[in-house]
Order: sequence, then structure tokens, then C-alpha cells
Amino acid sequence: MPQSTDTTAATGTAMTETHESRPRDIFLVSNSVDELGGITSWSHQMARLFAERGHGVHVVGIVPAPEGRRADLGPDLPYRTTTLYDVHPPSVKSLSGLKGKLDLVERRRRAARDTGMREQAAKMSALFRAARPGSVVIVTQVWAMEWVALADTAGLKVVGMSHESFETCRKSSRFGRVKRFYADVDRMLALTREDADLWIRQRMDNVGAMPNPLPFFPEEPSRRTAKRVVSIGRLHEEKGVDLLLDAWAEVADKHPEWVLTLYGSGPEEEALKKQAAQLGIASSVEWMGRTSQVPDALRASAVFALSSRGEGFPLALMEAMATAVPCVAFDVAPGVREIITDGENGLIAPPGNTGEFARRLDRLMSDRELRDRMGEQAREDIQRYSTDEITGRWENLFTLLHR
Amino acid sequence: MPDVSVVVIVYNDAARLPTAVQSVLDQTLDSVEVVIVDDCSKDRSFEVAKELEAAHPQVRAYQLPENSGAGGEPRNVGIGHARGRYVMFLDSDDVLELNACRNMLEAAERTEADMVSGLCVRVHKDTRNQKRDEWYSWLYRTTRTLTSVSELPDLFVWDTLSTNKCYRRDFLIENNLLFPKGMLYEDLMFIAEAYLAAKKITLIPNQVYFWHVHAQAKVKSVTNRRHEMSNYIHRLEIHRRIDALLEQHGMAEMKKAKDVKFLKHDLVLHLRDLPFRDESYRREFAELSRDYLAGLDHEAYTRVQPIQAICAYLLQKGDWDNLLPAVDTLTHRDKISAPLAERDGRIYWCGEHLDDAFGRSILDVTDLGYHQKPVQKMFLRNALTDYAESDGTVRLAGRITNPLGVMPADAKIKGQIEFRARRRSLQTFVFPVKSLRHEGRFVTWDAEVDLSAKLRPLGIIDSVWDVRVILDVNGQKTNTRLTVGESELGSGLLPVKPRLTRLVADHIEPHPTAKGHLAFRLVSAKHDNERIEEFIQTAVRGKPGKLAKAGYRRAKDLRKTLTSDKTKLRLFHEVYGRLPVKKRTVVFESMLGKQYSDSPRAVYEEMRARGLDFEAYWSYAGPAPKDFPKDAHLVRRWSLPYLKALARAEFWVDNQSYPLKLAKRPETTYIQTWHGSALKKMGFDQPGLKAATQAQQAAEQKHLDRFDHFLCRSEHDVRTLARAFRIPEEKLLRVGYPRNDVLVKTRQAEDAADGARERGALAAELGIPADKTVLLYAPTFRTPGAFPMPFDVEKFAEEFGDRYVLLVRAHYLNHVVLPPAAKGKVIDVSARHDVMPLMQLADVLITDYSSVMFDYALLDRPMLFFTYDYDKYVHEGRGTYFDLLEHAPGPVFRTEEEFHDVLKTLDVADDTHAEARKRFVAEFGEYDQGTAAKTIVDTFFSGWSR
Repeated sequence: MPQSTDTTAATGTAMTETHESRPRDIFLVSNSVDELGGITSWSHQMARLFAERGHGVHVVGIVPAPEGRRADLGPDLPYRTTTLYDVHPPSVKSLSGLKGKLDLVERRRRAARDTGMREQAAKMSALFRAARPGSVVIVTQVWAMEWVALADTAGLKVVGMSHESFETCRKSSRFGRVKRFYADVDRMLALTREDADLWIRQRMDNVGAMPNPLPFFPEEPSRRTAKRVVSIGRLHEEKGVDLLLDAWAEVADKHPEWVLTLYGSGPEEEALKKQAAQLGIASSVEWMGRTSQVPDALRASAVFALSSRGEGFPLALMEAMATAVPCVAFDVAPGVREIITDGENGLIAPPGNTGEFARRLDRLMSDRELRDRMGEQAREDIQRYSTDEITGRWENLFTLLHR
Repeated sequence: MPDVSVVVIVYNDAARLPTAVQSVLDQTLDSVEVVIVDDCSKDRSFEVAKELEAAHPQVRAYQLPENSGAGGEPRNVGIGHARGRYVMFLDSDDVLELNACRNMLEAAERTEADMVSGLCVRVHKDTRNQKRDEWYSWLYRTTRTLTSVSELPDLFVWDTLSTNKCYRRDFLIENNLLFPKGMLYEDLMFIAEAYLAAKKITLIPNQVYFWHVHAQAKVKSVTNRRHEMSNYIHRLEIHRRIDALLEQHGMAEMKKAKDVKFLKHDLVLHLRDLPFRDESYRREFAELSRDYLAGLDHEAYTRVQPIQAICAYLLQKGDWDNLLPAVDTLTHRDKISAPLAERDGRIYWCGEHLDDAFGRSILDVTDLGYHQKPVQKMFLRNALTDYAESDGTVRLAGRITNPLGVMPADAKIKGQIEFRARRRSLQTFVFPVKSLRHEGRFVTWDAEVDLSAKLRPLGIIDSVWDVRVILDVNGQKTNTRLTVGESELGSGLLPVKPRLTRLVADHIEPHPTAKGHLAFRLVSAKHDNERIEEFIQTAVRGKPGKLAKAGYRRAKDLRKTLTSDKTKLRLFHEVYGRLPVKKRTVVFESMLGKQYSDSPRAVYEEMRARGLDFEAYWSYAGPAPKDFPKDAHLVRRWSLPYLKALARAEFWVDNQSYPLKLAKRPETTYIQTWHGSALKKMGFDQPGLKAATQAQQAAEQKHLDRFDHFLCRSEHDVRTLARAFRIPEEKLLRVGYPRNDVLVKTRQAEDAADGARERGALAAELGIPADKTVLLYAPTFRTPGAFPMPFDVEKFAEEFGDRYVLLVRAHYLNHVVLPPAAKGKVIDVSARHDVMPLMQLADVLITDYSSVMFDYALLDRPMLFFTYDYDKYVHEGRGTYFDLLEHAPGPVFRTEEEFHDVLKTLDVADDTHAEARKRFVAEFGEYDQGTAAKTIVDTFFSGWSR
């Protein structure tokens, strides 16, 4: 039975040409304005894109980024930024049970924190009240939503976001908070339609989907001539480099002229190097450490491996595809399935099945033509997440919410 | 122009109309309007509508000049007045979900759909927790867009509501889509036409519509009154029109899907009522149905449950004698209500109609496995044939179906009638059955029950009494309920004396339950008792009653907590675990308690054979154990004695795993024998565990770290299992499997006797003639439930029955159904705990990926590998440690045809594969030397001699 899934969302043909570009005030509210990480890069990319379209943008952080985790945003941002707290407010313990009820010190601390929260929310209310009609608040993290919920958002529409897959969220403490604090927002956004559907079935009937925009699109794609499989990411268990090494051990012997190049550093580095030695593949694995030159690293590779145990809407995968490098990825999130069309612009393996992951690596490594075909296809297909496309979808959403 | 117009129709529902309208005004989408159309109500509905119009600029109200009798015409009028780009329908007693309009609009625009459909939820307003059920929710699990409804016939066929949908108004106008005037089931026709006309339909998983169900409403809705014949006539008429429509569109597949639904749903609704209807109703019903059924696609019958197809077929044939019992099974799925007939090795619902090839295929119920059930596992039909009462005594007579003579003519049958309060009380009243007569296909009985004198209900709390006839057939008990239908129940009340109070009720009266079984209820013969009844009901529903009920619930919750796993675990760790270890105690477990088998059994038997002095516990799961040793304490898995025994044991001997949450104390030694070498990936080599986080892996590791010793039968085990379970070298015991000792010894004996093979007692027990070659088929586990045989068993029996006997042993989590035609040629041996005697008996093994291959190889006999799903198993599953195709010490094949070819040329004495088998044993079973049990006992228990 032919089944047409919701492909228009991906190709975005229906609506984007007709979007109206009425200027609005857009508030992007996150935990911090400049904490190192994916959400901050995303927020400032979107802020810049919205500003370029003539919207008034204001990036709001609840607390300052922790020392040592501060991102360099560069000078002269084309939009305002505000951080509410000067110092991080004290965290509080749970007050459940008889013991909690009797803990007066903790109760007082909690009361002080609540008062503080209302004061900070009032600052936001003032910002919101000054906004033009038709304005929007985008809350990128559910923790920040606790302040927005206290603020006066009359006349504005509030969008809450979950920047991870439904499954990842469900296994975390955020799950309950998302269901509580995003229950009444005008729109909650998941990263993919599939994630959105899962949220909706949790009886969150206000959920929609919005993918991330492509972080960059290189002029010069990879020629895929260097016999190199590349992986880029923190050496953290979540990224599953141990699985990649297991898979590599199954193909390395068959392809002696190939190397596996690993970019990134992290807590697992020692253990991973030991594992590589035990598997007898130390000679074909290169450890490169962290890089800021991702485009160059991709351009010098022929195959990209994404071995993560969990993902949302993986930017690294999008970047590799934009560079025309064909990918092999574990099927760990709807985001992966949405970005890669298995067998056409990349290959997908069942989660944790290193044998099947190896078979797919082997397929690409053994077949130059296949690499070229999939790589070129990937570069073409990934443009459905171009910044123009995604910004247009955001503007359509704003229009919908104000209808 | 508003984005969405919501047409709200109302008829005599002034009270609820404002709620419905408010649910539109409260929508998150602002650009909505409400068009109220009143079907000329007799109450204030239209005035209320006008008031709403005056209060809200988005509301307009209209009235029909005269009542139209159904919801269709008002909706048509509403469409005419609507101004929005999209139209939705809402009934005055229901409400929209708050985001419904926005979600529908967004989906419609994004996908350019003519129609958007979302999830409708039925809310039972009269239930305590507002019970909800989702309307065909499987259609609404994900967002999807159809470019033709033929992509999803189930949508067309099942979701026939017009209200959970949003339509582009121009789409309705251009296609002239209107509801049929003044007809019941008006939705069905409208929605069928809309589905077929739509160029794009988008489904969204969001709730959009809350359908409020009032079960106790005084005026029953149309669908509740389905017993009316006119209703059925309307239904058939709509179906005929839709069939014509599908014909016009050339949609044959859709018609088939619709026929399936008719058999599964529409017909079943009416069939279930038949036992309660009189002769003339039934005749008319059959008359009406016959024509329509004749037009159904025969293939549709194969796509519904067998009993549904059987009912439809018998109805069409007008065979009431067989149909009424069939309807009993339709209502009670587990019930066996026909005597059944065996013909040519197949089982049929009845002996009639078998000359008709179609009838034969419909009535064939072999695959349901009725013939394999013992009488105590059967739920037999017991039709009440006579009922009379006089002077407080009830005379009952009935007829119990005797399918396939499961109760033989010479069986010792006893019976009794049991009265039991439906709400569990302390009392059960039992009366003897006076006489029981074996009449071949039936067993008839009668009884006299002195209810007035003997039945003493408590009163109030036990007002309904169910009746069961319990048969004892050669010592096996089977329960039956009394089906009331054809026989008339007396209307007489029988006086009874409730123990608590006679204020409310002092008589008992018979009635059929909703599903057609005889029951009695307490009633009052005097008129003024009704007032007292009312008084008591008020108290029960009022505050004191609520308090009492809440207290009862709390007590129930407390009891649940006290008997919960959590409490048991605390008991295990904090109480039992602090008692001293009892020296010389061993807790044995095999296959999670499901069997008395395998290496734990072999070790146990060796210990007993040596006459050691120790206390043994055997764990069992499920019902009371048979076949477990008599000289051990038998403890049910997860019971308190089990937990206590485990907590205090000096040794644990097991082949799979004790409950994961039980920690092992250091004083206890855990000997993990394991239950088979590995072909497919195990432990931390499985993708599932590899994909897990470090924390999850650490939790799993904790379970595995309980093992103190792990048995290996080859270096292959060391490389695979031991590595996959991360078991350190010092815990490994390279001694072989105790269970396999017997196989090694068998082969040694055979070698010594120059290949002569002794067939033991099992061959005689199974009735295997000496001249037949014994094949053992032992496939691996795939999915739970019945194992679908990958070849035609009857064909096998026919072609090879003169040479071979095939023993089928399904995995312990599976079972198989074999047709009687294969009797004596194909034998189901799945229920036997111990596979060892089966292996000893079998001349040839047929398997696929099961670890039985590694064990059987020790016998050095031919092995065949029927790997019909090789690619799926190897690549889509968890992966394998080695390539079976390369290592298999015998022919590997994938189709039934190849299987037959192999069987045709099979020669047990042929040693083409003998070398390969030797290599196989050397690689996978080098430590199996026939002395494993002895070594284990020598190592751990030799000091325990008396």
C-alpha cells in the first residue's frame, strides 16, 4: 500500500513563497545568552536571520553563563541581548514529605527564590509590554520557561521549544517539566514531525515541528578522494565512538589503505584509545583532538560516520551532507531518519548494531561510484533546510499564531 | 472572511448548546465563526441560540421551518450559511478541543488538503473518572497525507464520522457534498462521498473532537437502538449506496475492505442480539441479510476472524441450528459451542455444508487447535433447555456441547450447579445435578434447586448471582455458564431470605445477562420497598457512601502495596537477607522456573545419585508443578518461600537468571550453568545493550556480576558468551554442560556397540514403529505465541509418513497446532520439559539457529538446517557470531521444496557430513566429555556426603 507521509513539511513547497514579512519584535529566551553549546549557536544564528529580515530581535538569558563555559559571540551583534540575573540564583531542594515541610531554612530560601523569580519576570514583562502588536516570545529551553510563565505575555504569542528527540527527553528529568510548563504555550515545537506526533500523543495538542537550519553551506564540497572516514564530536559516551571503533574493527582489515579520523576530545578519550589498541586497529585510527575547522575536516573526507547513542537534529550530519560527504548513522532519533533518506543520500543502521554499521561503511568504502552518487545527492537534498527555507517557515508560524 | 466556520446543530438541547458554542469561541485560533442551526426544537434551543448570537459577533443562528428528523439537513443548511474558508461540524452535546481549529487549519494549508481529520475521543460523562476511549486511534498515530483515500482503506471503512474533520468550503461546494435528507446513518454517505472526492486528505494525531457519551440518558441515541429492524434496513440501504459509489469509482479493493468491515463490525452488532429475538424477527433478519451477503467478496471472509466468517456463512445459508451456537462463540470468544466434526484429518465447525468448497474453507477450524485442548481447558456451551419453578424450587435442564467427543461415552461424569455472587462475597451455594446423560455430540443434564430454602444472600451488596454448571470428567473439572436464549425464563419471583435485611429485597428473579448467560437478581415483591431501595441508593451515592467507598479503595491500595514487588524486595534484602545462611541448601532453577530440565537438573540428579546430604529447593513458575522432583521443596518463583530460600541458600544453580532485582549475598555461591552455546549475539554484544547508556550498562552488569562460576563447553563459549557477559577468566569453568553428559554417553555406548542404537521407552510411549526414521524438528524462538510451521504438515505426512516420524518441539515460549491428518506421523512434543530423551531418540535433527545444534552434534547423527528466514534473522536481528552457512555440518536450505528434496535422498548411514560434524564438535563442544555433572559435584559438593 503506497503511503504518502507528510513530505511537504520537508520540502516546504506549499507555503514559503507566500509568507508575509511584516516586521515583528521577537524575543529569544534561553537559560543564558552565551553559554557554550548547540542551543546558543542556534539562538544566535536565528537571531541574526530574523534581524536580517527586518525584525526587532532581543536575545534574553535568565542567568550568566557559568565561568569557563562562555561562548565568544564576537563584537557588534545586530540585536539586543539582556541577562536577567547578575549571579545564578541559589538552587533549592525538594520540599516533599514531612521532613521537607519542617525544614524552615530551606523553606525560607525557597520563598526568597520565588520572590527573586517574580522580580526577574517583571523585568521581562516590561520588555514584552513595550513590544509591537504581533510579537513573539521563543523559549528555547524549558528551564527558562519557568520565568516566562511568571511574566505578563498579554498580546504576545509564546513558542516553547524542545531541542532534543522525544525519546531523549522522555528519559530525562525535563520530560515532566516540558509537559507542565509547555502545556499552555501557544505552540510547542519539536525538531521533527515524528517527534511532534509523539508529543501530541502525550496529549500535548499544541505541538508542531520545526527543524534546525543548516549551519553553513560550503562553496567547495568534498571530492571524496581521500580514503578517510571521519567522525566529529565530543569523546563522550553519548557520541558512541566506542561503537564506531567496534564497527571499524570489522572493516579495517579489508581496507588497509583507509583511515578512521576522529575529531574531538572528552572524558572517554583514554578508554577509547585503550579499546582501539585491544581491537588491534590503533594503526588505522587517527586522533585529531578538537577542531574549529570543521569545513576543512569534512572536505578532506570521503565518508562521515555518526555513531551516537542519542541525537536530536544532528548538525554534524547536516554539515557533512552539505559538504557532499555520504554518511552512515545509527537510527537513534527521528531527526536522523528525517535528514537521511536511507539508501539515497546516506545509509542508516539499526541502533547499536555495529555489525550492520560496519556493513554499510564497507559498502561505501568499496564503491567509489556509490560514494559520489550519495554524496552529491546529500548536498542537494540538505538544502531543504537552508536558512531561507527555515526562516520562512518561522515567519509563517508567527502569522498562524496571530490569526 | 473567517478561517473556519463551525456549524453547530441542535435539537431539543438548550441546556448544553452554550457549552458547545463556547468551545468554539475559546479556540486558540481567533478567526472562527459559529453557525448554529436548530432543527425546529420543541424546547428553548433556538432562543438560547439567538441569545448567543446577540452576545457574540462571531455567532449566527438559524432555524429549520420544520423538524427534519436527523442531523443531515441542519448541517446542509449550515454549510449554506457558512462564510469561512474551512467548515467543521459540531453537535450541541459535544465540544471541540481548544487547539482543534488552529491545528486543522495549519495542516490543511501546509499540505493543501481538501479534508483534515483528527482524533475523536469519546468521553463517558457518567463515569467516575470521565473514562475516555479514542475513536479508531490506530488511524491517528502519526501525521500523514493521502493523495487518495485508497491509500488507507481503513480510514474510509472505519472512521465514518463527519464531525472530527475540517473541510475546505469550496471543496464541499464544488463537489456538491451534502448529507442525505432525513436518513439514519447520514454521516456514512456524506463521508464516503467526501473521502472519494478529496484530492488530498491529511490525518493529524491531535485530539480535535470530544464526543460526550451519556449512557444513562433517558432518550437512547440512534446507535443504542440498533435492535430495531428499521435501523438495520437503513444500514443496509446506506451500504448498498456506498457499494454503488465504489463501483462507479472502480474501487474494487476498497469494496473488499468495506466487506471485511461489514463482517467484522456491522453484522456482528446485529448478530449478537439474535439469541434474544423471536422467530419472526430472526426470519426477517435472515431474509434481509441473505441478499446483501451474497454480494460480498469471498476473499473478505478470509480476512476476518474465523467465527465471524462462520456466522455470516451460516446466516446466509439460513442454518439456525448451527448459527445460534456460533453466535454464542462470537459473543464469548473462548467458548466452544459446536460439537465440531472431523473429516479427512481436518476439523470443521459442523458436519453440514462440507460438499460446498467455499463452505468447507470457511468452516475449517483446524488451525484454532480445538482438537488439541483437554476438557479442563475448554469453555463449553451449555444451553438451558428447560426452566420452571414452583414452591421456591427451580427445575433446570440443559445441553452441554461435547466437541469431538472430548467427553467419551464411557467417561465418569459428575456435575454440580454453583450460585456465586457477582460482587465477591463470602458465600457460594452449590447444588447437585440430578442426572447427566451422554448423548454422543451432547451431554444433557437436569437439576432441581431449592433456592428459597437454601440460597441465603446477605442482601444489598450481593444482589446479582451468576450460575455455573461445573462438570467433573474423569477427574478433570470444566466450568460452564448457562446460555439463555431460546428457552423462556419463568417470570415468577422466588422468595429468599437475605441475611442482613429484607427491607430492600426478599425475592430472587432470573434474567439473562447482557451477554446471554443465566443470572439471578434480588428484587422486592412489595411496592413500598422501592422507596427504601431508593433511600439506600441515595445513601450509597451520597456523602457517607462516598466516604465508605474511598476508605475501601484506600484499604485495597494498601493491600496492593503490601503485596507489591517492592515490598517483597525489601523483605528479601532487609529481613531474609539478614538471617544466617543455611549450610547445605541449594536453590535450583531452569528456564526461569518453567521447566525441570537442563544442567541444573543434571547436577541435581547427580547429587541425589551420590546420596549427598543437602536440602534442595526447585523453583517453578506458573500453575502447580507436575514433573518436578518429589524429593525437593518446590517453591513458586517470586513467592515468599522462594525469596526466603534464595536469601538463605548456600548455593544457587541456574541456567538463565534469577529475578534481576535480587542481589546475591557474598556467602552464597552462584553456579551459572547457562543453557546453550551462542550463534546469535548475546549480552553486551547485542545491539540493544550496545546502544544503551553507560548507566544502563552498569545496571545490567550488576546482574551478571552475581555469577560466581560460569560453565563453558568450548573456547567458542569463552570468546562469545563469557566476553559478552564480561565474565573474568577466574570464574570460568571449562567442564562442559552437565545436561550433555547423557548425549556423550549415548554416543560412546553406540560406538561400543558398533553403531547399534537402542530406542528407549520414549519411542514406545510416543507409539513410534521400529521401522520409521525419527526426525526431530526444533526451531528457534522468534515471536511469542503459536509457531507458524514453515512447511505444509499434511503434505509432509502424506509424502513421507511411510518412512519418517517427525517430532516437533517448539521453543518453550511457543506452541504449535497440528492437524489431525498428521496424527502418528507428526507428533507435538513441545510440552516435554527435557529435550535430552528427544535428542537421544531422534535419528536426524532439523533446526535453524537454535543452540540445540551444538548439543545434538555430540551424537554424531545427521543434521539439517531449515533456515527459511536466513536474511531476516541474520541481518535484521541482532547479528550472529559466525556464518552458519559456512560452519553448518549438514545441508542448509530455505524452501519447502528443498526440504522435500533433502528428505527424499536422506540416508542416515551416509557419512558425507561426518567430517564436518567432527570439526563442529571440536570447535563448539570440546569440553563436553560426559563428566561435567561429576566434575561439578566433585568440585563443590563432595564434602556433603552423609
